[in-house]
Amino acid sequence: MIVELFILSILVFVLGILVPLVTAARDQRVFRTAALGCTIIGSVMLGVFSLIILLTGQVFSWTVFQPFAAFSLSFSVDRLAAFFLLLIAAVSGCVALYATEYIEHLDGGSRRNLLCGCTNLFILSMLLVVVSANTVSFLFFWELMAGSSFLLVMYEYTGPDTKKAGIFYFVMTQFSTLFVMLGIVLLYGQTGSFSLAPAGISFLSTAAFLALLTGFSIKAGIIPFHKWLPYAHPASPSPISALMSAVMLKIAVYGLIRFLLDVFSPELWWGIVILFLGTASAVLGIIYALKEYDIKAMLAYSSIENVGIIFTGIGLYVIFTSYHMPGLASISLLGALFHSLNHAMFKSLLFLTAGSVVHATHTRDIEQMGGLVHRMPYTSALFFTGALAIAALPPLNGFASEILIFISFFSSVAVADPLFKVLLFICLALFALTSALSAACFVKAFGSVFLALPRSKESGEAREVPFRMLLGPAILAAACIILGVFAAQIFVLVGLSVPMPDMFLVGLLLLAMAVLAYAFLFFTASRDVRVAGTWGCGTPSQQPAMEYSGHGFSEPIDIIFSTVYRTKMKNERKFFDRKNCIFAEGTADISLMKIFEEYLYLPIARVSYQTATVVSRFQSGCLDTYLLYVFCTVIAIIIYLGWLA
Amino acid sequence: MIDPAFIQDVIRVLFAVVIVTAAYIISTRNMISLVSVYALQSLTLVFMALALYSLEGTTVLLAIACITFASKVLVIPYFIATIQERIRIKRDIEFHFLSPTTSLLLSMALMLFIYIALAHIMEGTPGRESLFFFGAVIGISLMLMGMMVTFSRKRAITKVLGYLTMENGVLLFGMFVTKLPFIIEFLIIIDLIILVMLTTILTVGLDSTLEDYHNRLHRFHLVEDTEEGP
Repeated sequence: MIVELFILSILVFVLGILVPLVTAARDQRVFRTAALGCTIIGSVMLGVFSLIILLTGQVFSWTVFQPFAAFSLSFSVDRLAAFFLLLIAAVSGCVALYATEYIEHLDGGSRRNLLCGCTNLFILSMLLVVVSANTVSFLFFWELMAGSSFLLVMYEYTGPDTKKAGIFYFVMTQFSTLFVMLGIVLLYGQTGSFSLAPAGISFLSTAAFLALLTGFSIKAGIIPFHKWLPYAHPASPSPISALMSAVMLKIAVYGLIRFLLDVFSPELWWGIVILFLGTASAVLGIIYALKEYDIKAMLAYSSIENVGIIFTGIGLYVIFTSYHMPGLASISLLGALFHSLNHAMFKSLLFLTAGSVVHATHTRDIEQMGGLVHRMPYTSALFFTGALAIAALPPLNGFASEILIFISFFSSVAVADPLFKVLLFICLALFALTSALSAACFVKAFGSVFLALPRSKESGEAREVPFRMLLGPAILAAACIILGVFAAQIFVLVGLSVPMPDMFLVGLLLLAMAVLAYAFLFFTASRDVRVAGTWGCGTPSQQPAMEYSGHGFSEPIDIIFSTVYRTKMKNERKFFDRKNCIFAEGTADISLMKIFEEYLYLPIARVSYQTATVVSRFQSGCLDTYLLYVFCTVIAIIIYLGWLA
Repeated sequence: MIDPAFIQDVIRVLFAVVIVTAAYIISTRNMISLVSVYALQSLTLVFMALALYSLEGTTVLLAIACITFASKVLVIPYFIATIQERIRIKRDIEFHFLSPTTSLLLSMALMLFIYIALAHIMEGTPGRESLFFFGAVIGISLMLMGMMVTFSRKRAITKVLGYLTMENGVLLFGMFVTKLPFIIEFLIIIDLIILVMLTTILTVGLDSTLEDYHNRLHRFHLVEDTEEGP
């Protein structure tokens, strides 16, 4: 019964790929709705399947095809895989529901059919990565996921920004695949098999871990491999951004956890490396997010921060395992896993509502928005819920998962090594800073986008989106609330004992405090009515341009972190008089240094280009020259075999 | 019953013949004699296979001798001779990277080099001084000499003959060292026949006149510039 449910869900996704491909030439809504309907049905079936596996704890395995004795295309679903399947199913279903309406407002004619087909292919490849039972099928579906997501990013392929983003994404995703492949090959060298079996401790397994960590970090957007996210997310249609940010990044997280749990015997320094990468990504990700004014790029940077939080949890898991502290290790890992699910929920909610806002205002610049709370009240309420969750405010789900990682950090006093204790507390301080900056970032985002007066004509004319573009995000918002308020109960339901506060009680307390505070003010405040205009600095009327902008809000933080941003301010002025009193003319310019691009990506690109230029000289196009190369190679092999081997 | 020592002496003489024919193929500018020398080299291999058959009694060697004779001594040389007759090229005087004299000197050095390399590899093994060791050395040398022909000559016909010489090297190596399965040897020969047939079709055509193929002859370096006139 369970197996049939899983197979049926895969078949439904396959149908969702085939329907739009077969009808690619026909620009009719019915085909797109049918394809997205398949996504919704498949997601529901997949969700039910994964819930059954999660609750019962049974392991399901299935060999599809075995061409050789050493290799088979086989699937295996345990609780870990089922957890990520549930994440995929939940987000995909809601995104598909949203997209049924959103996609009809996109340009592209019948190309939209292909978008639906590719979306289904993308979802299918992600879920098959998760259920892969051996490394070869893992790599195959990993590459399929990379290819299909590249096609989705390139949907608006005529735009110069999209072309740049697409090429950048393609290069980075291929690097990711390359490192994952290298890791798998090294593992094969160690174990002699493609199965996800324990590899023991050796130089090869350490090299394999480093290769896999790099591959997964690139895909997850860990700093310094993160630059593709702020390019690819704004270039993609919003449902695709939601899927990539909420789900695809988690597939990389799944890969890392799966290999750490099933294949490697992690050492202490592995944990330190992962913790360092996670903390750096969390802090820098949110610092860069604060500086962004493109709403989707801001959400992309915020994803880097959240993946950093997840990596922090995984790093702590490895460290506590090495110190033989299984209890703390479990809490850390559960924190990382729970935050993966929660981030998937609130980030997809935020991307979808951001998509609605961009659709209504025709701009991604938050400085051109404003006043949308009156024009798009439901969207603003949904975005607000997502913002509360991502800012880790109780009792929502962001807080519920981050508290687990905080508990792990606080409990690290039990670690014997004092140096290590100091290191963990430094990371804890940075982690706490991340939470505070995250709250500031989303206060800025919500304030700039939804509050005050509209700062552009389009923003003033914005209207609420259709019902289906609200329904998908509404389900996700409900999930954010339920996963937060009933977090403790959910852990008990799946049979896990976690020392976290009962968020339901916390929620009730907060509600009671709010009610009491309101009641106190209501009954004690003065009833006198005083009418006065807001002080407008002496100007006769208030203009939207005079509002407290996003730039203004983040200015103090910009100054504090100016060394990180490497802000370059240029101010040239000319005066009429010698004592520089009467201003004549001047120019001012503020620019940010793109540190990772200038110091990491571009130098690598330059070296690659120079190497390619040298290597391309060998490609003469002359057959005789190529034969000469073969001749020289044979001679070199004979020399190697005769004297060196 | 023939004395095995005598047969081994015969094989050594045949090795010498193979080396001489290979040297001729590398160095000659005369294209008419090239195909005859190739046929002679292949015939030498046929005799070598027969001599080995009389030593070992393996019927596969007899089969190899038969198909080598049919394909490399009769069919392939016939096709190439047909091409040469049609395209009227008598001499191949254009070279890449290596002149004939340099090629000859290089091939001598190669043989010595391969001898030393194989001696290193087989040091301490019983086959070090046997006939099979020499077979391996000559086989690899012949293969590399054929490869030298393919990249040092500009005319397609000569390149094809270089390729065929390479295959003779593979056959020689296979007969003495690896014992290639007969089916693989048979398939290689089928490949060679197809290669030569394709060259023939490209050169003279099966359904057209030579005039129609004039441009094509130029494209494949099958005709000299002096013959371009009407």
